[in-house]
Amino acid sequence: MSFDPGIPVPIGGIERELGNLWEESGDGKTRASLINLAIYNEKPGSLETNTGIIREIAGEHAMRAILVEADPQAGGSSAEAWISMHCYLRGAKGGSVCSEQISFRLAGEAARSLQSVVFSHLDSDLPLALWWQADFHPPIQGKLWRWVDRLLFDSRHWKKPAGQFALIGQIAGLAEARTVLCDLNWARSLPVRQALAGIVETPGALPELELLRSLHLDHAPGHRTTALLLVGWLADRLGWHLTLPGHNPQFQDARGGSVSVTLGEADGASISRMRLTSEKATFELSREANSDLYVTTAGGTSLPPTSRMVRAPREETREILLMELARGGRHPLYARAVKAVEALW
Amino acid sequence: MSSPTANPLREGIANRLMPEPCTLVIFGATGDLTHRKLIPALYNLAAEGALPPAVTIIGFARREKTSEQFRKELEEATRKFSRTPLNEELWASFASSIHYHQSPFDDAEGYRRLAAEMEKTDLARGTGGNRLYYLAVAPDQFPVILGHLRESGLNTAPPGSWARVIVEKPFGKDLATATALNQLVNEVFPERDTYRIDHYLGKETAQNIMVMRFANSIFESIWDSGHISHVQITAVEPLGVEGRAGYYDTSGAMRDMIQNHLLQLLTLTAMEPPTSLSADAIRDEKVKVLRSLRPLRGEDVFTHVVRAQYKAGLINGQPVPGYRDADGVPKDSATETYVALQVNIDNWRWAGVPFFIRTAKRMPKGGTEIAITFKGVPRVLFNQGGDVLDENVLVIRIQPDEGVSLRMSAKMPGSSLRIEPVKMDFHYGTSFGKATPEAYERLLLDAMSGDATLFARRDEVEEAWAFVDGIEEAWKTRRDDLALYEAGSWGPAEAAELAARHGVTWRRM
Repeated sequence: MSFDPGIPVPIGGIERELGNLWEESGDGKTRASLINLAIYNEKPGSLETNTGIIREIAGEHAMRAILVEADPQAGGSSAEAWISMHCYLRGAKGGSVCSEQISFRLAGEAARSLQSVVFSHLDSDLPLALWWQADFHPPIQGKLWRWVDRLLFDSRHWKKPAGQFALIGQIAGLAEARTVLCDLNWARSLPVRQALAGIVETPGALPELELLRSLHLDHAPGHRTTALLLVGWLADRLGWHLTLPGHNPQFQDARGGSVSVTLGEADGASISRMRLTSEKATFELSREANSDLYVTTAGGTSLPPTSRMVRAPREETREILLMELARGGRHPLYARAVKAVEALW
Repeated sequence: MSSPTANPLREGIANRLMPEPCTLVIFGATGDLTHRKLIPALYNLAAEGALPPAVTIIGFARREKTSEQFRKELEEATRKFSRTPLNEELWASFASSIHYHQSPFDDAEGYRRLAAEMEKTDLARGTGGNRLYYLAVAPDQFPVILGHLRESGLNTAPPGSWARVIVEKPFGKDLATATALNQLVNEVFPERDTYRIDHYLGKETAQNIMVMRFANSIFESIWDSGHISHVQITAVEPLGVEGRAGYYDTSGAMRDMIQNHLLQLLTLTAMEPPTSLSADAIRDEKVKVLRSLRPLRGEDVFTHVVRAQYKAGLINGQPVPGYRDADGVPKDSATETYVALQVNIDNWRWAGVPFFIRTAKRMPKGGTEIAITFKGVPRVLFNQGGDVLDENVLVIRIQPDEGVSLRMSAKMPGSSLRIEPVKMDFHYGTSFGKATPEAYERLLLDAMSGDATLFARRDEVEEAWAFVDGIEEAWKTRRDDLALYEAGSWGPAEAAELAARHGVTWRRM
């Protein structure tokens, strides 16, 4: 079945057509919106993929979705727009709660003046989350970013992370920007960070954190940046400084001790194993392929053995995005984690 | 917010105090509360990684059974009552931290064995000497349990550790018994380690009352007698006594609902802004509201309070028996199943604003809400002649269908000037599809974290009883004021008259 982006509408009449759509949809439907979620992508076919994602998440996080499939390299200028609704049954009374979607296909000049197209169709007074599914290109200009409350991106997909992180840093540093940087790769690592934080919360375990000598991580192919973000997080939290960059880098802890880091590739979850060792203790986290559980263990000569399982969320985009949207707030540790391993990107 | 565990890996992961490893001892572990609420709540917390892995649960009860049998029963209960589906592997991991301790509550030896078991647990699992005792038993069991905890030294913790107690309501049945109970508890556990659960305070919407008031400038600036005409706080349900007749007939609606839940909602609605979000700063302000309640005594009770009892009627078209025909209820019972009262808060902010509080069983539908009715606009322009405009009403719905709505006036489309009330409505369930945690999850986590904000402090409980006692005392002097109402109706005519004396009608839910 071919993809149907919705009802084609003239760009100048989107709001009016949305109003008509509501009138035609009849009673029993409630419009709901917590945010504007705009998604920008330069790949052909992205409207279909992103419509699928919106369909999956709008039931849990009501929104106005604005999808843009752009080809800024094309000549001339063209713009097409469609509107649609995603409705979900709620409650015993049988009413539906609906989120609106506006889809754009932009080419040439229209794609290069994104803000004039997208920002004139926001649900006013609600925050704007812009999910940038393309590479960032210099020069970074404030006129786009000052409108954005939360900038979502996924550093996992970056071919050249060093350059991209530098551009992200520029956006964060813009005087007029109040944008919160939301790396979905950082959100992806949250359950691992939570599980690891839990396993060291037994008396006797915390002092061992200051005495760690090695860290080993197994990550799925294509998830090296996920693993490095975790290394950066631990380095920042535990006061490690990078002393020897490379594939298996070395850090120095606050007491001058050496900490060796090794990264391995293994099929399965983005992070399937993590092992931290000191002379007297070992902390381990693992997730078997296709399992929805993390197993965490702590033990050693200075610790009573402890083991537990906690839920490991699925790692589909839907889950990661919902997790990020539900958490909100700023991510102060993210920039510090990125900085702690900036020589390793 | 700093973490008491000083775990550097926790920073930035959750914006709340973190629970500390502890041994949780549940007295009354074979009871309903443990099966329906406590264990499902703990399971969900553990599954989400919110509990430290060392947390150990010991069920203390009289019946003979093994830990394995106990876990099996709890597994079945969790499968039935958990808000998330039970995962076998997760359950197995969680259940390994659950143990059963069989002992009569009055057997000193049972407590000595408990002490030894907990010491072993400290070594084996790293619970660090922290103890949390949950009294999920009837209050008449408190003295014996607390006495033995003290005698066996289990009420104190080694330096750097803590011993806390969670007490379930009812916190007494009048001021004298509540004071005695509090005295008893505080002889064993200091007030700072005493956590009195009122599960209403763990509900998301109850917590949202403070956020709405103090995080939105538009509300707080008009939250006073200059702008508000009256306030109605309602908690009603279609259910009858449903097997609780033994307790309910000695309690009644006043003690069962008003003294705790509804006065708690009143304090959250009427309190001044606290100086901080600390537990005591918030509770200081709440208790000031209770102290400002104009006492109702003697004849005042009969002009400000209506009590009633339901008789047979129809609920959802089905006939239901009257209260006195319910199993376990004496045929001549004078216990109230309906209470409506009008109270005044004698402070600067609320002088002259009547607060109406209503609770009842066997109403046509159920719900809990707080409705703030604002004063009408001056009787000029649109509000003159025969057309009196409806006042603005802000409604905070606690349950079901949690949310907030605001009624205001709007011009109807057309060439004539016709003004009608319209409603702006915010539904939690519409905007947030995600299921919210159970109140007990939040409250258990708070108790393990040492955050008493959502628990009732001793002076709150006693001030509430002091207010309610005046009414109960007056009721003892008469019986002819007990009105009757049909099950499935909205209550007796006397309640409507009470409101009408202030120019108010009770809200339709």
